[in-house]
Amino acid sequence: MNLRTFLRPAGGVLALAMATTTITAAHADEIVIATTGGQMRNTMEEYFYTPFAEETGIEVIPFDIEVPDQWARAEGMARTGNMEFDIVTATGPDLVDKADILLTIPCDEMANVKEYALPGACQPKGLARTTGGMVLTYNTDLFGDNPPTTWADFWDVEAYPGPRGLPDTGDRDWWLPVVALLADGVPKADLFPLDLDRAYAKLDEIKPHIDVWWKTGNQVQQILRDDEVALAMAYSGRALKVVQEGRPFAMAWDGAIRDTGYFAVMKDAPDLDGALKFLNFFYGKADGHPGFIRTVGYATSSTIGLSQLPEDEQKLYATYPANYEQLVDPDFAWIGAHRDELRERWNSWLLQ
Amino acid sequence: MAGFFAWRGRHLPPPVVALLMAPFFMLIVFAFLYPILSLLSLSVTEPQPGLGNYAKIVENPLYATVLMRTLWIAVVVTVCSLLLAFPLAMAMAQARGAMALLLTACVLLPFWSSVLVRTAAWSVLLQRNGIVNGLLQWVGLTSEPVRLLYTEGAVVIAMTHVLMPFMVLPIYGALRNIPPDYGRAAAICGAGPIRRFFEVTFPLALPGVMGGAILVFLTALGYFITPALLGSPKEQMIATLISQQLREFLDWPFAAALVGVLTVFVTAITLAFSKVFRFDRMMGGQL
Repeated sequence: MNLRTFLRPAGGVLALAMATTTITAAHADEIVIATTGGQMRNTMEEYFYTPFAEETGIEVIPFDIEVPDQWARAEGMARTGNMEFDIVTATGPDLVDKADILLTIPCDEMANVKEYALPGACQPKGLARTTGGMVLTYNTDLFGDNPPTTWADFWDVEAYPGPRGLPDTGDRDWWLPVVALLADGVPKADLFPLDLDRAYAKLDEIKPHIDVWWKTGNQVQQILRDDEVALAMAYSGRALKVVQEGRPFAMAWDGAIRDTGYFAVMKDAPDLDGALKFLNFFYGKADGHPGFIRTVGYATSSTIGLSQLPEDEQKLYATYPANYEQLVDPDFAWIGAHRDELRERWNSWLLQ
Repeated sequence: MAGFFAWRGRHLPPPVVALLMAPFFMLIVFAFLYPILSLLSLSVTEPQPGLGNYAKIVENPLYATVLMRTLWIAVVVTVCSLLLAFPLAMAMAQARGAMALLLTACVLLPFWSSVLVRTAAWSVLLQRNGIVNGLLQWVGLTSEPVRLLYTEGAVVIAMTHVLMPFMVLPIYGALRNIPPDYGRAAAICGAGPIRRFFEVTFPLALPGVMGGAILVFLTALGYFITPALLGSPKEQMIATLISQQLREFLDWPFAAALVGVLTVFVTAITLAFSKVFRFDRMMGGQL
């Protein structure tokens, strides 16, 4: 799922207020969890923080903060040796970038994680919280009889005519090269390291057919809703809302890019034990998941989570088994090492 | 203006003038000069001292392209708003009573809503299934929705709409300052309406035109919201790139270098304007 969009409504005011009030000192019976504010914080509180406190007596102090700010602060705290966060929110690339200040998660010692975690949910430095995908979303009124199923179909403007939308936000500097290579016939397993020359040659083909380069999650939801586009790459959580509003859209999961938000634990966390207890609780708290998943629009990686929803509804989420196995698993180590090159290339190409 | 500093028929002593001007200069220094200079100094000191950030701008043709595009859009917007604003300003200068009020309200009302709202309104009008496309198909000009939104046309239309009041008001001011006797005198001497316009009215309104043109042009150069919302990547202007460097890539020194380049351009253009059109005399609009 996309943090930037998620975070935006959180705002700095709340974060500031929280900073002055809650970060006094985390005692043994409380843990501080930094996430984006607004819906994510509220939903986590309702379905997980409160039940966790009731069961274990460990209070969760939510700390609303945008992810880049969170890292700036966490790094400052790590330097001064005065760590106040226990659990933080991380993207895939963050787990590589910030590895030296994060705890290696002992998944093997966490009963519920061992029991219920989906494959790939436990990374060395993080544990999956919510998973979505950058997914091909298409209009079923137009293509109901012969639906597009792959990115090659997105590129096929003859068979699937109509206005198209692609993101110009978030991690598009590798998302789009990835889908271009898929459209050009590269198998998912051989994507990385990305052949950027080949990818951009393929992107040149589709560029004239892109009507909207969307900038925010709200915008992609709106261009789908208003029939501004017939096909688009969208955040799956946004596409999901459009589908649930009854609009004629569907998602094609083959080659969707996995987009996972992780929990990470600070190496110097004041209450390591409490933090790990919470993660274990999150994976095992069966009755919290359905409400949480439905509210945030992204699925958790616990097998006892999504499976509680009706089968038809499950199919709209990235972690539904048939969808999950078709996702692209990004190589964050490679992406992290080539960040500047990817950005430069993308910007030069798009704005020309 | 001379009367402003006269006090009981005498000029104010210089220290009093200095005191009265102090708040203004403090504002300029602390709210404008200091921040912009510290930003610009960032561009030559980080990450290494030197002109590395500027070299990056020169090396990548993207930035020259975007800068030229920015100038082009600003010129087009200036010309469009001049063409639309002049007749309107003339009508306003000649109208009396309720009509004058109505015209003034039409120019000033848009100022009461934010640029964002006006831009969003254009995106509603221009979208695929929007009113304009509906109208075009109803009239039979097009058979299916055409792409209006996310084009250069959309950006120019919306920016012209937003910036037009800055053109109308100075021209209106200049036109109002022309004594009606001049026109009558020209008529008595045998000049027809067209000749009166080109030989009397227009030259005398020129200070207003130049003032309006420079206001619109310079404001357009720094425009950001409208191209971002109504344009495709091909219409992004330099301000979008600057904001992207600041917000997304957190590369302040490089953003500062882009600001530096834009500042140089704006200063050069303003100086050129004032040289060619004797801007200093025109701003006063004196006859």
